[in-house]
Amino acid sequence: MNVIYPLAVPKGRRLCCEVCDAPAERVCTACTVTYYCGVVHQRADWGSIHEKICQLLIPLRTSMPFYNSEEERKHGLQQLQQRQKHLIEFCYTVAQKYLFEGKHEDAVPAALHSLRFRMNVHGLSSVELVPAYLLLAEASLGLGRIVQAEEYLCQAQWTVLKSTECPYATHSLLHRNLGLLYMAKENYEEARYHLANDIYFASCAFGTEDIRTSGGYFHLANIFYGLKKLDRADTLYTKVSEIWNKYLNNHYQVLSQARIQQIDLLGKRFETDTGLDEAQEAEAIRILTSIWNIRESTSDTAPQKTIFVLKTLVMLYHLMMNSSKQTFTKHLLCTRAWSSSQPVGYNRGDREAQGTVGAQRRDSNPTWDGHKNMP
Amino acid sequence: MTTLPPLPMTRPKLTSLARQKLPCSPTTAPRSQLIKEKNDIDHYLEENFKGLSKAEVAAYRNSYKKNIYVDMLQDGYHKSFTELFSLMEQWDAVRDPARFGSLFLQRPLEEQRDKLDHFYHYLTRAEAAERKEYFEDVYNNLYALACYFNNSEDRWVRNHFFERCFKIAQLIKMDGGKKEAEAHGNMGLLFEEDGQLLEAAEHYEVFHQLTHGRMWKDETGRFLNLLACESLLRTYRLLSDKMLENKKYKQAIRILIKAAEIAKEGNDRKMEGEASYYLGLAHLAAGEYETALTVLNTYSKISTELDDDLSLGRAYEAIAKVLQSQGEMTEAIKYLKKVVKIARNNFQNLDVVRASTMLGDIYNEKGYYNKASEYFQQAFDTTAELTNIPLMDETKVHYGIAKAHQMMQTVKNYIESADLTSLDYLLSWKESRSNIAPDPITAESRRSTMENLPQNSEHLEEELSGFPDIQKNET
Repeated sequence: MNVIYPLAVPKGRRLCCEVCDAPAERVCTACTVTYYCGVVHQRADWGSIHEKICQLLIPLRTSMPFYNSEEERKHGLQQLQQRQKHLIEFCYTVAQKYLFEGKHEDAVPAALHSLRFRMNVHGLSSVELVPAYLLLAEASLGLGRIVQAEEYLCQAQWTVLKSTECPYATHSLLHRNLGLLYMAKENYEEARYHLANDIYFASCAFGTEDIRTSGGYFHLANIFYGLKKLDRADTLYTKVSEIWNKYLNNHYQVLSQARIQQIDLLGKRFETDTGLDEAQEAEAIRILTSIWNIRESTSDTAPQKTIFVLKTLVMLYHLMMNSSKQTFTKHLLCTRAWSSSQPVGYNRGDREAQGTVGAQRRDSNPTWDGHKNMP
Repeated sequence: MTTLPPLPMTRPKLTSLARQKLPCSPTTAPRSQLIKEKNDIDHYLEENFKGLSKAEVAAYRNSYKKNIYVDMLQDGYHKSFTELFSLMEQWDAVRDPARFGSLFLQRPLEEQRDKLDHFYHYLTRAEAAERKEYFEDVYNNLYALACYFNNSEDRWVRNHFFERCFKIAQLIKMDGGKKEAEAHGNMGLLFEEDGQLLEAAEHYEVFHQLTHGRMWKDETGRFLNLLACESLLRTYRLLSDKMLENKKYKQAIRILIKAAEIAKEGNDRKMEGEASYYLGLAHLAAGEYETALTVLNTYSKISTELDDDLSLGRAYEAIAKVLQSQGEMTEAIKYLKKVVKIARNNFQNLDVVRASTMLGDIYNEKGYYNKASEYFQQAFDTTAELTNIPLMDETKVHYGIAKAHQMMQTVKNYIESADLTSLDYLLSWKESRSNIAPDPITAESRRSTMENLPQNSEHLEEELSGFPDIQKNET
């Protein structure tokens, strides 16, 4: 019963596919307010986002019930607005999560929803649309649809250009995506320009040593690495790993201090976490792992750098806790192997690494047991 | 409806290109096609229309500061970027209190393009050299930046780069430590300006040690070792001054002895002399007159060797002071007379005044009022040539006191003799006193011409009572 006939629809009312804006042929039976051009798109939408928001769409897409008083009408409108805002955020997070998991296909419908609601709430030329555009661009880039990605980015850029006040963070994101786009197009000049802009804006927003700035450095390093300018790439990779190492180290210190204080008070086990959201964790793992790979391939000259990256990675995994024990031990073993295989000349770095590993093991083991005992 | 044939129109090349590329039916061309064509147009614009390239548009739209940053980052100079970024933040922080304190001292750095250019030029070069581990180049570039910011406004920028230089210099091993020595010298200067003399002395000591026995020269051709000695001595002297102020004579003397030794090693007679001069003064302040005398004698010997009249004068003056404190007035007078002569020959008016005043004081104390007034007059005449009002006032008072002392005897004699003629003299003097012009300077000068006439001592005494603090000098 979910098939509709376009010709049977009342005149002047056009039903469009939720995903591609083509004339609709099907309708979702659960909410009866969402239309699709075919089974393929319906499935895609269902798998991506529709399953989660199906019922939430009903009040938004049916006409408002009749209210008796002005007050009620106002209240109803406000409710509507709030619902839409909630949906914007929800869709955005879902899309982002898909992106970090590498499921670009699934991210598109969710991002599209976010964009559509943003248009409804903020109007067509608002800066609020930019994050959604950027998500879409990223998804398209991931799918290899460069032209489409460029289209979205052009939209985003134009919106940012027109608006007078736009937060630095948005500028930074825009330029990062543009940089990635040009990297995909192999136009490294432009890519470098945009990534430089990204670093600048991110520094203005968060400071030069922030983990949110590190992404720009990392991509820039990748370009130089690709161009075989190894010395530049090298310093940039070092910078990125230093930023992460510093952040994780600080966080670790704070946590262990808090733990010491807490145990006395409550006798409760303290949760370890990285203080990052999922997206940032995924980014950290991606960045550090790829630096590690690069370091390993060129490690003959400077083994300390490899050890340094590994140390940082181990710390990250330790703090994340939810990661499997396997990866953690694998990295641990790697670190030990590396540090012990070094000639005497690197004694200092060696001992340092050993010390960190030891410390990590000492305080991570009991927590693991606790973790395992949990149902 | 008839369709008109298209009008023959001459279009600019760009439009025709656009027309050709973009047919008016959008349905036939997918958006991707359009974007591709847009790129072609962009490319065409960039190629054929100068001034429309993306880079130039960006350069026009963005602030100069941002362009510099982006240029740096584009080529991977992230350390320069970080450094400049933090400097810029500090710059703003420095400027902020100035803004609130109604003094709008500095222009924002964004407007000072030449400074930004310098930053860009040297920082990127330094970073490139650092990548290749050419630390000397790094040092040179950073040092150049420090020199560029060597003015009172941007002193903290210079200091920042001096510190950077210092860190880099530790890594340079190839030149036997020349750069390190220089860096120590710079750090010493930095601390000295800050007033942290102990730290400055530490750095200068290392500087001196490193340059010891080397023939290094700086860019102006001076020997580094000499420079080190000079700065070290200067710092030691300042340190000892501070200690003398706090009455820590032992410490001050110890430091100055060290300074004198260093000066001796430095093979510069003049410096050696200076060092012994200050050592002598310290001994004098501590009350060790004998040692002071021997040290000052070496100073005077060195000065005679060098034919340096000025320092010889200073040496004699200091010796005279020591002798005076010892109570050997005749000796002191001998030296002071020498000082006056030397100073006169070299037109050192201030020295003349000082020495003459001291001489006058000594004579005054011993009761030779004629001589005293003679020297005070000398001092006064010399100050009249200078335009130093407070000094002139001071000598004037001294002169007046001596004069009064001188006349006191005559007046007393007249009174004691108690005959008519003396009474006449006294009366006429008393009468003529009312004729004295109110201008003290002309009165003084007139008085100086009439030596023995006891005319206006009372007036002088009146003047004296107006200066109670000067009366103390008299005793």
